[in-house]
Amino acid sequence: MSTARCFHCDETVPDGVHLSLMFDGQSRTFCCAGCHAVADTIIQSGLADYYRFRTKPASRTEPMPDAVASSLQSFDAPDVLADIARQQGDITEIELSVSGISCAACAWLIEKHLKQLSAVSKVSVNSATQRCHLSWRNDITPLSSILAELNNIGYQASPFVADQEQQQFKAELNRFLKRLAVSGIMTMQVMMLAVALYFGDYTGIEASHQGYLRWISLLLTLPVVLYAALPFVHSAWRGVKARQLNMDVPVSLAIYYTFFASAYATVFNTGEVYFESVCMFTFLLQLGKFFEYRARSQARDATSNLLKIMPVSATLLHDEEQVIVSARRLNSGDRILVKAGETFAADGTVLQGSSSADESMLTGEYRPVSKAVGDTVLAGSINHDGVLTVQVQAALATSRLGQIIALQQQTLSQKPAVLQKTDKLARYFVERLLLIAAATFILWYFWLDADRAFWVTLSVLVATCPCALSLAAPTAVTCVLANLNRQGILIKRSAVLDVLPELSHIVFDKTGTLTEGRFSLAAVQCYHDDYSQADCLNLIANLEAYSEHPIARAFASYLQQRLQLEQPQICVGAGISAVYQTTQLKVGSAQFCQLSNPTDAMVYLTADNKLLAAVTLTDALRPEVPALLNQLRRADYKLVMLTGDSSEQADILQQQLQFDQLVKGCSPEQKVQHINQLVQQGHKVLMLGDGINDSPGFNAAHVSVTLQTGSDLSKNQADVVLLQPSIALLAQLLAGSSAAQRIIKQNLAWSVGYNLLIIPLAVAGLVSPYIAVLGMSFSSLLVVSNSLRLLRK
Amino acid sequence: MSVIYVLIPIAILFVMIGLAVFFWAVRSKQFEDLDKEGFSILFDDTKQTTSQQKSADDKAQQ
Repeated sequence: MSTARCFHCDETVPDGVHLSLMFDGQSRTFCCAGCHAVADTIIQSGLADYYRFRTKPASRTEPMPDAVASSLQSFDAPDVLADIARQQGDITEIELSVSGISCAACAWLIEKHLKQLSAVSKVSVNSATQRCHLSWRNDITPLSSILAELNNIGYQASPFVADQEQQQFKAELNRFLKRLAVSGIMTMQVMMLAVALYFGDYTGIEASHQGYLRWISLLLTLPVVLYAALPFVHSAWRGVKARQLNMDVPVSLAIYYTFFASAYATVFNTGEVYFESVCMFTFLLQLGKFFEYRARSQARDATSNLLKIMPVSATLLHDEEQVIVSARRLNSGDRILVKAGETFAADGTVLQGSSSADESMLTGEYRPVSKAVGDTVLAGSINHDGVLTVQVQAALATSRLGQIIALQQQTLSQKPAVLQKTDKLARYFVERLLLIAAATFILWYFWLDADRAFWVTLSVLVATCPCALSLAAPTAVTCVLANLNRQGILIKRSAVLDVLPELSHIVFDKTGTLTEGRFSLAAVQCYHDDYSQADCLNLIANLEAYSEHPIARAFASYLQQRLQLEQPQICVGAGISAVYQTTQLKVGSAQFCQLSNPTDAMVYLTADNKLLAAVTLTDALRPEVPALLNQLRRADYKLVMLTGDSSEQADILQQQLQFDQLVKGCSPEQKVQHINQLVQQGHKVLMLGDGINDSPGFNAAHVSVTLQTGSDLSKNQADVVLLQPSIALLAQLLAGSSAAQRIIKQNLAWSVGYNLLIIPLAVAGLVSPYIAVLGMSFSSLLVVSNSLRLLRK
Repeated sequence: MSVIYVLIPIAILFVMIGLAVFFWAVRSKQFEDLDKEGFSILFDDTKQTTSQQKSADDKAQQ
């Protein structure tokens, strides 16, 4: 085995491959022609800085298959382009989703490389979301050549249509940033002046100076109150209109009451000012909201590539003439041509040709389904190896894919409500608090001392200000979100943190979730003494290198030595044959290899019709699964497996993993039904899945978790996305949520306890507003630093 | 101490300028991808032109 590593992608260079380039005075080796070509392009175009500064190796580049290269052309059709891009005068604007971006240097590389094209006027790449925004002259260079150009430097790009909602998200995030800046910078200024005023109170200060500093503070607080704090007012107003006292009502009350009291004190030169409290309070709350919003918008960006499963274009057959049209404009009765590797653009029946299709995302069936004349095909599934002519039976919107999406929209409104308990407690508390404050004012005004009524009421409100209470949950949630994010868990809906500690049932999907979702070798049977197992696998791998079929991919890693094969021939849906040193080799099904008594293996290898080896393939279990399930079972969770697959593999898994309940052959509708049943019995349910067929079930469960490798539709819908290909993160998610729960309880206990202690004192007029502010700040600080403990580890 | 009547307004002016610059930075999308902006300093333009020249030279030699 050679230990040389590829300069471009850092994978080991297989034996028999001799590709190298000179760079920085050294000879660099490459693992394949793809990487070699990419590195050559990059260095030739003067972008070698990429290799000097990148922090991660690039992903391995396969040379672009001709089928893909020709499918890029379909984006040039005016009909299709109009659907995916915006035209502004001469300039066309488009958003591309780019795969293969591994670090920030990639973003730089793409920008520089595309800017070298004369037609490109503006390009900006976001390495976090793997998006590229491109403006170019379509009349000079068509989109397909730009995509091909990207492919030359090792990135696969596909058009992406950002929905309306997402653009609003972006704009809102910018507004958040600006508000945060205003409240943060103003807090610093006002705080500085407040220090001067504090010292003035102790060491004496000229009345004119004090008045001046107060006026300046008032001036600086105005933007905070009138601009930065507005979201709280809007939310509070919505709450009041809906007769729902939310947390923003007392927050806005506290902000504006304190501000106006301080302004009153400034104008009439009496009492105390609390401008710094107003600013700091607004800033801290904004900060929490900003982090939550940013996490959500990142999750959206990373996961809303809906268009990837929705086919963009189709080749329409019109009187034996091929026309490329937008997939959305297909009607039932149209005839379309689907090439190998393409996505079916509509439901239909096969008129001509034979092939196999990957329907795993729609049905959970992990084996390719063979398609011959008369069989039905589903929109969104992928055509593997043959060319098919399909008669469209249902347009995209009414296809099976469209139905599943509709079902999932429908279940969205039935989502079990997750009550935010802290919100409820705070609401209860706030109601009492407002009543007490009002009673205090009336008591002092009419019976005790009318002059002091305003200031005593103020100190009641300030001392019991719901700051600590309203910071208790958000700060803890923000910290745990950040911590989990660092571990590779993206939480899109923070409310799920409330439910997670109460979970009782965990529902798993099988294909792609518990298993890898692709073929791997289970057993190899050798029949010939001259050929060892490694020799046989190397022969198979060499033959399968000619095929795009998912079975072929299982053998790619067994390629040890490249052999000189002649006359390779692919027989669609059966196998591959080739000649090696006058020996006729065949790899494929028993029938293709002309075997009389086949075993239950899936792939056979013959040389001159003599059987050499039989290979059994399965969809292997993820290695971390057994340990995770044991851990969950010890923690008393009930484990359920709902799978769309009806093969015996589900039973084998059941024997191995011992689920509490197993239902196989589930349609998406049945998955929803089973979960609904559990929810109605009062259980709290988490659903873990990855396919399109799981996404309706996501909305039925209390919490839904999906994997980064899952379908885009499921990532779009799930509450939580696991960013690493390991479902062991589930245990960390559960641990993180119970830690957050514990911290929130401590925070609430402190802030409620403190308030109960200070209220009687404040009502009695024993707490001067000064002490009230100190107490309030101290208890807020305590709550914030307690929450910060969640960031450790 | 009457100097504060001049100094504080000047300080506020600077704060306003700082805020305006931040708003401009947000508007020109500098905060959308913080990773990439952090890298931009490594790829300085002068070196860029020299390496381009170098590759041009290489081509000339060929």
